[in-house]
Amino acid sequence: MGLLLKNISLPLVPFTLQMDADIQARITVIFGPSGAGKTSLLDLVAGLRRATSGIIQLNGRVLTDVAQSVFVPARQRGVGYVPQDLALFPHLSVRQNLLYGHKPGIGHNHLFAFERIVEVLDLQTLTQRGVTDLSGGEKQRVTLARALLSSPRLLLMDEPLASLDAQLKTRIIPYLARVRDEFHIPILYVTHDRYETLALADETIVLADGKVAQMGSVQDVFGHPGNPAVPGSLPAETIQPGRILKTENDLVTVAVGSAILTAAQEQLPAGTGEAYVCIRGDDVILVKGKEIFSSARNHLPAIVLSLTRVGALMRIDLSCGFPLTALLTKQACEEMLLKPGDHVTALVKAPHVHLILR
Amino acid sequence: MSADEWQIVWFTAWVSALSTIIIVPFGLGIAWLLARYVWPGKSLVETLISLPLVMPPVATGLILLKILGRRGAVGGFLHNHFHFDVVFTWRGVLIALGIMSLPLFVRSARVAFEEINPRLEQIARTLGAADLRVFCTITLPLASRGIVGGMLLAFARALGEFGATIMVAGNIPGKTSTVSLAIFQNVQLGQDANAFRLLGVSVVLAFAAVWGSEWLMRRRKR
Repeated sequence: MGLLLKNISLPLVPFTLQMDADIQARITVIFGPSGAGKTSLLDLVAGLRRATSGIIQLNGRVLTDVAQSVFVPARQRGVGYVPQDLALFPHLSVRQNLLYGHKPGIGHNHLFAFERIVEVLDLQTLTQRGVTDLSGGEKQRVTLARALLSSPRLLLMDEPLASLDAQLKTRIIPYLARVRDEFHIPILYVTHDRYETLALADETIVLADGKVAQMGSVQDVFGHPGNPAVPGSLPAETIQPGRILKTENDLVTVAVGSAILTAAQEQLPAGTGEAYVCIRGDDVILVKGKEIFSSARNHLPAIVLSLTRVGALMRIDLSCGFPLTALLTKQACEEMLLKPGDHVTALVKAPHVHLILR
Repeated sequence: MSADEWQIVWFTAWVSALSTIIIVPFGLGIAWLLARYVWPGKSLVETLISLPLVMPPVATGLILLKILGRRGAVGGFLHNHFHFDVVFTWRGVLIALGIMSLPLFVRSARVAFEEINPRLEQIARTLGAADLRVFCTITLPLASRGIVGGMLLAFARALGEFGATIMVAGNIPGKTSTVSLAIFQNVQLGQDANAFRLLGVSVVLAFAAVWGSEWLMRRRKR
């Protein structure tokens, strides 16, 4: 099961899109700068463009096989597409848009019943309206529901949140998470936004100039960026799964590995939950010696594992109950005489511990 | 107005309307092909379609007369095999009006098609719609303003056509005489009062056509 892309190639200007991937995760984020070929890749999978070579298989069914001249037309692929410009049909009402691809009584339709999808995506009050006067977030949900109502076996989403502001994004992402959890179909999600990637991705494929620059979990991809050209990827960043223990006066206590951190973050829902804990390398201060008086909320006893040169800076990999990465100047490392095996204390201010809910 | 004049007005209105209705399917097909595809001979077809717009109507009429006349290629064939005549009949009027108004309709429809975001049609396909359904439920409705506008232009052009009609169909009272031809003839004969009555009628027809299409567009928008 899953989506298989084998030896795919499609000439684009100014490069050729090349892809080889066996996609099994629930949400696979295709991450990369604009013009990296992300939308073209989705168009190939949807059957809106033809590759010049390669095989595309969905759940074992061949959709494209260039060598065998197999090309299943878009309408028979069972692939739901949420394009970047959303492409709601402006002359139809919300309800007519939703029902455009709905085939009641065919296949696994109980899962994609109209009432259920309308409820999951909170569209009850919108169905009688026209699409042109919907807000950005409402349009987003209607487009998503329209794709789901066609009972797809795969969902393609092309920067669906790109036009929304940060606050609206945080409101829509839980809906996407619900779709992921309730409908059990793989989702290919294109974005150049770090935040969306961290919030949604099970797997991440970094695409740069039409080629796969990196593939793996978000921790791998952002924690050890293989391609410095990838936007939003920092030369050194710690991304670790954590568990929120409690929230008090905007101060959040979160467990990461065997360490407990304090984060300062507004607008976090109360209660506990899973989150990614993100700490930029240049927000970490290292201190040697015993007596430390500092305003930083997080004092983490750590052992230096390795030092690596990154341009003019040094990347220090530490162990402090979880893998932590610090970014220091070369001079600082030399003055502190840092070497692997040293015991240090890592200081991180609470506002520098960023939480992204999962 | 005399019975003869009413006959002329009635004839002009229905033959213009019929010519417009007949060119719509052809025009839509051509406009669609021009708007969406690249094919060999495209620019030749584009030019041929537009010729009646730029050539003197009388010249277009002369070409039609030569093709459709009893000694012409098409007209001769029709006459010899089916005893069917085109020139100097109402069918000649119909063809002259259709040829003269086709480019106006094709231009409007083509622009209307080109203005549709192709993404909408692609997404309709991913939702399981076959090409014909996409065309009927997405493309046509979205292009409807341009298409209706083009039909109005074509109808208006047909109402006022003179040069091509007089070449192909002559000005036979009670048979091929249209409002334009009759006005011209009346003025030539010094019957200005008759000419002015017909002038009044053509003004009313034009108003009705424009208002009708505006009303249609408003209804669509709601």
